[in-house]
Amino acid sequence: MIELEVKNLNKRFGGLHVLKDVSFGIKGAELIGLIGPNGAGKTTLTNILDGAIKPNSGTVYLNGQRIDQLPPFEVAKVGLGRTFQVTRSFRRMTVLENLYVPALAKHVAADKTEVTNKALEVLDFLTMRHLRNEYAQALSGGQQKLLELGRLLMLDPDIIILDEPFAGVHPTLMEIIYEYIRKVNEEGKAIVLISHQMDSIFSLCKRLLVLNYGDLIADGAPEDVKNDPVVVDAYLGKDDDENSDTTNNEKQNSA
Amino acid sequence: MNRQQTLWLISILIIVFFMTFPFLYGRRDYDYIMHVLITGFFYAILASSWSMLSGYAGQFSFGHMAFMGLGAYGTALFSHYFYLSPVPTNLCTEFEIGDQYFIIKDAIGVTSSTLDQDCLTKALAIWDGSVQITPMPIWIGILLGSMLGGIFGLLIGMLVLRLRAAYLALFTLGFSEILRATISAEIKITRGQAGIELPYLFENGITVFGHEFSKTDKIPPYYVMFFLLLACMAVLAWLAKSRFGLFVRALREDEDAAAALGVNTVRFKIMVFVITSTMAALAGAVQAHYVGIITPNNLMILQMSLVVAMAVIGGLENFAAAAIGAIIIQFLLELLRESFVIGGVEVDMTLWRLVFFGALLMITLRFYRNGLITPIIEFFTRAHVASETVEKRMDPKTEDVEEEGITG
Amino acid sequence: MEYSAIFWWTTLWLLFWGVVGSIFTRRVYLRKDLDTSNSILVGSMVGAAFGPVGLVPLWLKTPEISRKLILIPAFVSVGIMMIAFALADPQNNCVSNGSFVASQITNGLIIGIIYGLMALGLTLIFSILGIVSFSHGEFYMIGGMLVYYSTVVWFPGLHPVIGVLIACLLTFMLGAVFERLFLTPLYDGRIDRPVEYGILITFGLAFTLQYFVQAVGGANPVKAKRFFDFPRIRLPDKADPWLIKTSRGNMELFDTISISNPRFVASVISIMVLLGLLYFLYRTWTGKALRAVSQDRDAATIAGINPHHMNMLAFAMGGMIAALSGATLVQAFSWLPQVGMIPAMRSFVIVVLGGLGSLPGAFIGGIIIGLVEAAGTGCVPDPQKASSYIPAYGMIVLTLTLLLRPTGLLGRRFASGTHGKL
Repeated sequence: MIELEVKNLNKRFGGLHVLKDVSFGIKGAELIGLIGPNGAGKTTLTNILDGAIKPNSGTVYLNGQRIDQLPPFEVAKVGLGRTFQVTRSFRRMTVLENLYVPALAKHVAADKTEVTNKALEVLDFLTMRHLRNEYAQALSGGQQKLLELGRLLMLDPDIIILDEPFAGVHPTLMEIIYEYIRKVNEEGKAIVLISHQMDSIFSLCKRLLVLNYGDLIADGAPEDVKNDPVVVDAYLGKDDDENSDTTNNEKQNSA
Repeated sequence: MNRQQTLWLISILIIVFFMTFPFLYGRRDYDYIMHVLITGFFYAILASSWSMLSGYAGQFSFGHMAFMGLGAYGTALFSHYFYLSPVPTNLCTEFEIGDQYFIIKDAIGVTSSTLDQDCLTKALAIWDGSVQITPMPIWIGILLGSMLGGIFGLLIGMLVLRLRAAYLALFTLGFSEILRATISAEIKITRGQAGIELPYLFENGITVFGHEFSKTDKIPPYYVMFFLLLACMAVLAWLAKSRFGLFVRALREDEDAAAALGVNTVRFKIMVFVITSTMAALAGAVQAHYVGIITPNNLMILQMSLVVAMAVIGGLENFAAAAIGAIIIQFLLELLRESFVIGGVEVDMTLWRLVFFGALLMITLRFYRNGLITPIIEFFTRAHVASETVEKRMDPKTEDVEEEGITG
Repeated sequence: MEYSAIFWWTTLWLLFWGVVGSIFTRRVYLRKDLDTSNSILVGSMVGAAFGPVGLVPLWLKTPEISRKLILIPAFVSVGIMMIAFALADPQNNCVSNGSFVASQITNGLIIGIIYGLMALGLTLIFSILGIVSFSHGEFYMIGGMLVYYSTVVWFPGLHPVIGVLIACLLTFMLGAVFERLFLTPLYDGRIDRPVEYGILITFGLAFTLQYFVQAVGGANPVKAKRFFDFPRIRLPDKADPWLIKTSRGNMELFDTISISNPRFVASVISIMVLLGLLYFLYRTWTGKALRAVSQDRDAATIAGINPHHMNMLAFAMGGMIAALSGATLVQAFSWLPQVGMIPAMRSFVIVVLGGLGSLPGAFIGGIIIGLVEAAGTGCVPDPQKASSYIPAYGMIVLTLTLLLRPTGLLGRRFASGTHGKL
């Protein structure tokens, strides 16, 4: 049983209070959307869950183990995987090598042929088998995005945080990513989906978290959240800024 | 026979060529050519280990020659200051070990006066040949030198963990300059610019298969250096193939992403520093014993530039290419040594060759980013990739996948 | 020298409490849910200055980190080191000879200005192109060489100031051509690791230039003549001119501080160039465009600035500034093709100390390093060793900076660290 417990998370960057007493929990294979305007602290929250930055206070437990003070690689082994807002494939390694990294990192005694077979399976699912020996930099932007999702499958975590998986993606590819999310969720993994594309969020997720400048202002079923006056006022009501280009601010915050 | 096998065949041919070379070659400049080759092997070890550090792991350290120097000076100081003697000198610092005395010579630096000798020389003068002292075996010195390099690699690796690219390059460059300054300044211990003399690799000669070699013969050090190179290449090949190589390349590409996928980036960064600096120190120690003297000038930035240039021209991201590049360039540099006269102007090739070499480095970087040797190797190893990529395009069912190449 | 133990033990004491402070202060601040951005620096400084007496109240009260909290302990720890040094070696020139100290400080300041100027070139290149130029020392060397060749070899009798101008012009062109030929692939994303490419390609340029100069000009040390003489001040013999005394090559202030002419002239030229540079950067359109590109490349491009031109200008100007500091110093030091190495290292240290990409930081860093080197060369007992260790003084500063405050004195926040650009 997957269990993530986030309690009273606080994070400051200098004078900026980026996360204010954020608490929530995930039980079982949920599919959760995390939304909020730019600069709301979504990426910071991801970075804290992942271990890339440490919170000023608060705790995070994953399956009973405290992970907020662990380095990212330990967190990954405990069972939390994430993608990045900007695609970060290992550009000068082949597609297969990209997939080997998480598998070999997680299991020290992994069998090479077994890993290869699993990697080829993943590639089949992503319709990229024929590209297996190409360098990742030769792939298109969308394929690199798929590759990043493939790496997560190889890591085989309990919880997956997808940071803007749909940004700048071709409709055909979008279908593959949709299918990926559904399938992975059905296989029993919890997914946290961060996106600005409301229709995707509403069609996929059964629960929404809304962050607004560090405050977790809503947590519930999509329909309830949609009609929540606080959320409407803070986020949905405003003109829906759907492009994610302006997220540079967030990147700098997390630096 | 496919291309992969061809590559194997070529590698074996190259190894066999170098194995038999000392017996096939018989011209008058035999010693000179052998010397060039030994130095070439030495640089090949440095260039290939540096390519592991900078090309694979992405840690652009300019302190590689400093580690080489640590190894060389480690063994030099060891053999210079420590001796075994059956009789106490009563002049030096000494400890009794079994029936022998372990003697530590005092540091006096460079002196021209005969009165001001070190304690051991004085003792020998008193004994007047009646006592035979034994120098320490050089393999212990080489071992200690390499360990010294490894320990410093560990320390530097830990210090620079959080530094990236430019900061790392600056810091290691500074480290290497400080080491050079220290060695030049601490004349009492290191004899400064005068350098320390070391015993030769086979100080008392060696007999192999009934053939006796003197200490200045080139064949024994040739094989020592060649086997050292082969051993280093084997270790590097094994590392590159194993998870170590995979992980260090991942952290070169994107440290945060690698960490998020479960790679202990800290550990692998430090490991790659320790391994490559140990290799550099080992090569430095053996080379110092072969040449017989080590001076602080061996640590100069020029030497580092040579290693960098060899690795880049050969191919930074393939240690074998870096090693081959090093041997070829070492040979070219020696061939171009001849000065000549054009239209009454004497062209001093000892300097101009380095200018050409620098220009070659820049042009390689600019136009052949993978180096000049790596593409040849890749021609053999990656031959199947293009056909694989195309194979799917023939399959009409998956056309859509190709289309989305326009996105992103 | 039997008292030297005092000095080493004090150093050890300071180091120990500095380390303790840096490790635990951060944790204390983190636990109390406070801003930790400078806690390592404060902890180490307070620890070094006051030991446990300072650390315990710091941990109990955890005051908000202010500039005062950093600077006061920093000065106190420097003071403690100085007192320990004085006790350990009372006969040292640095302790017993006041006029020597004053001279050292003045000369440190003067040379620091020139260092600052050179580092300014490096930081200019970095802030626009995002690369650290490893050929900076070679530009410095070429600047000096060109002054020597133009005034002594090619056109004997040419006034050195014209030589300096020639050097500036040629190095500017050299920088521009190099940038066009070799740095252009950096801008369009054709290169995966631009920072590393920048390091290697400028390293290659340094290598080539150094041997080119050596091949053309030989490896003998050269030296240019003094640019100007000090005016002789003639006063009646009876009036003891304690305020200022000059000879042609030297100037003495207050009977104690002696300043050599070449350094004085070099620093005056540096200050003038610096003022000109500030005017250029802050008052002219091109200068403003340069700064705009350094702050936000994309925004500047949208605003109609061609960033490629700015890249070329920045690299050429950075090289020219280095050449200029070389050109002014060729009258003070003897010049070799290898002469650029140490100034280049020093510029790196200064730039990191001041904060990569910060122009005022480079200048302040230059003066600090000037003073540190003056203290190092003046106070270390064995003068031969003292001068050999010159690069080491800067490196100690560099190591401390990287450990305690990786962004440098005035650096941007994201210059380093796990999520930094570098």
